[in-house]
Amino acid sequence: MKKLKFTTKAAAFILAAVSIIGAYTTLVSADEELPYETYNYNYWEDIVITPAAYVPSGSVTGVELGTINFKTPQDFCISEDNEVYVADTGNNRIVVLNDKMNKVNRIIDSFEMDGVTETFNAPYGVCVSEKNQLYIADSNNNRVVVLTPEGDFIKIVANPQSEVLEDDFSFVPLKVTVDYADRVYVIAKNAFEGILLFESTGDFIGYFGTINVKISAWDKFWRRFATKEEKANQQLYIPTEFTGIDVDADGFIYASNIDSEGIQAVRRLNPQGKDVIQKGENGNVGGDIDWSQYGTYSGPSEITDVVYRDKGMYSLLDRKRGRIFTYDKEGNLLYIFGGIGLQKGTFRTPVAIESINDEIIVLDAGRNSILRFKETNYGSLINDAVGLRYDGDETLAIDKWQEVLRLDENNELANNGIAKAYLTAGDNKLAMTYFKMGMNQKYYAIAYKRYRNDILASNLTVVLTVLIVIIAGLVVFSKIRAKKKGKVKEELL
Amino acid sequence: MDEERRLSVKEWFASRQIFSKDKWGYVWHTVIHPVDGFYEIRHRDRGSLAVAIVLVIIFSLCFSINRLSAGFVVNDINPRSVNTFTELISVLLLYFLVAVSNWSITCLMEGEGRMKDILIAVGYSLVPVTIGFIVGTIFSQFVAADESAFYYMIVGIGIAYSVFMLFVGIMNIHNYTLGKTILTMILTLVALLIIIFIALLFIDLIGQVVSFFKSIYQELIFRG
Repeated sequence: MKKLKFTTKAAAFILAAVSIIGAYTTLVSADEELPYETYNYNYWEDIVITPAAYVPSGSVTGVELGTINFKTPQDFCISEDNEVYVADTGNNRIVVLNDKMNKVNRIIDSFEMDGVTETFNAPYGVCVSEKNQLYIADSNNNRVVVLTPEGDFIKIVANPQSEVLEDDFSFVPLKVTVDYADRVYVIAKNAFEGILLFESTGDFIGYFGTINVKISAWDKFWRRFATKEEKANQQLYIPTEFTGIDVDADGFIYASNIDSEGIQAVRRLNPQGKDVIQKGENGNVGGDIDWSQYGTYSGPSEITDVVYRDKGMYSLLDRKRGRIFTYDKEGNLLYIFGGIGLQKGTFRTPVAIESINDEIIVLDAGRNSILRFKETNYGSLINDAVGLRYDGDETLAIDKWQEVLRLDENNELANNGIAKAYLTAGDNKLAMTYFKMGMNQKYYAIAYKRYRNDILASNLTVVLTVLIVIIAGLVVFSKIRAKKKGKVKEELL
Repeated sequence: MDEERRLSVKEWFASRQIFSKDKWGYVWHTVIHPVDGFYEIRHRDRGSLAVAIVLVIIFSLCFSINRLSAGFVVNDINPRSVNTFTELISVLLLYFLVAVSNWSITCLMEGEGRMKDILIAVGYSLVPVTIGFIVGTIFSQFVAADESAFYYMIVGIGIAYSVFMLFVGIMNIHNYTLGKTILTMILTLVALLIIIFIALLFIDLIGQVVSFFKSIYQELIFRG
């Protein structure tokens, strides 16, 4: 009887324990399981799983906002006062949302020009300038329309005239952006020579930021032997087109393109149109470094849009694998998140990326919705640390980096950040340890040299004394030996 | 019979004169006087095959140690990618492959060297590069960035001297002229590639035969 009681007790206890554990684990996994992998590349370009920097925090569709659904929207843009302008391409309209993206502020689907009501035809791109003017790439109407935020007509940029353009060139603007001087940068269909640059008056200036065609030595070698017919049959060497465009606070243009080698998918163009982007240690700003050779998701990333964020950081959107890559000003890859799929928080056809109030938002033309991602503790620590470094306060960043290391032990950027702070503080030994973990040979060598000099300097007296004693000893020893030998010789004689 | 069996390992080695002091001392003599050294290896049996193989093993270990623990300033290799054992196996394999391909070429080109001489020559000529790796590894613990050139110089001299020794060794063992030595070395490389190619072909073929019989077996099992 007693025994039975004990067994029932034990069974009840085990049952309770199992149910508690079960409930607990389901609770945890429901909260923390992400629909995508978050990873980064280490010094040896191996994939390293990291904590998530951003997690999905919801999505916005047209119906939820109280209007008809978006239809293949292609671009969106954040204004200075944090309104979200969505180019609802399939519905031929621009939808303006408030900064929390829960209300439609207004819908612009037509405007008055010279007393005539005009509409849009597949507006692909949208941009709001610093002066709060709305630029719409009205693609199938072959023009860029400039409106006030309320939708009143200002001007039209269209019909570029120049000798550099081909005679039958048809101006189909896809993406548009505006700098502080109201110069208009337009990515147009079939304009392989670069971005079309317009003066604020609407005059076409010329191409901007041409991507040079790379012909390998091997191709050149074979072209030498090719006959005329063969050459004609070969595919033309055409530079890749730009896909997305953004402008930073200094008026530099960030333009993304699809790089078939996956090395450089973004350019930072100075006012002369020269690429001045900084690349990190691995010389890669092209998204994924490792990819499979075969299968659906093989090949390098296809970067479709770029957004310039705060403090020199920028994010790239990959439409092939749905990844979002964030780099700092020096071209270091900070974190990667996102993925293609059917689950919540994944993309079908991502087309545009923006950042608003510590959130990253992505426009999905396949899902006809805006996906929102909020930063985690890990993400915000990295963002803050990179920001402090950008401002030159590296010693302040050390606490942030320490926190990052607690979450992600092998984070090379964090190790380097801490090491640099120790180096400036003069703690060379610790700096060496952290530089080694951060795989930074150049700075490790500097720290080591200082460390070595310190040791030599503090032990100089000892070292010199030992040296003098050894030399003196050798001299005396050799003299004694010579004398002995001499004596022996004398004796022999 | 019994007496022979009772020989200890030490005595056995001593009786065969394999690891005698003289043989080890002769390695150093060969490094310093390669021309004389290799001549006497061929004609007076002063070299030892066992010593040569031990030298190759030491070389392989030093190669791995160099990659594992050279100073961080000159060494950014992922330590996880270094496997001392597989490297030892592949170095030994390559060593025998080089010897076999050189032997098969020199046999046809009136070389005087025996297989044993070739193995000894290749093994002995690895000594400078081994020393280069050891000295370089120790030295690299104390270099900062601008001094790393010295490290590369040390290792570079080791490699260059080894190549030189190999060249002199092949030349003297087979009693070749300079031009013929260069020609044989190129042909040795070609032979090496052919051997590897045939080996791969053979392995692939064996694999296909195995899978053929395997599928017959599976077919029988499933039908029966």
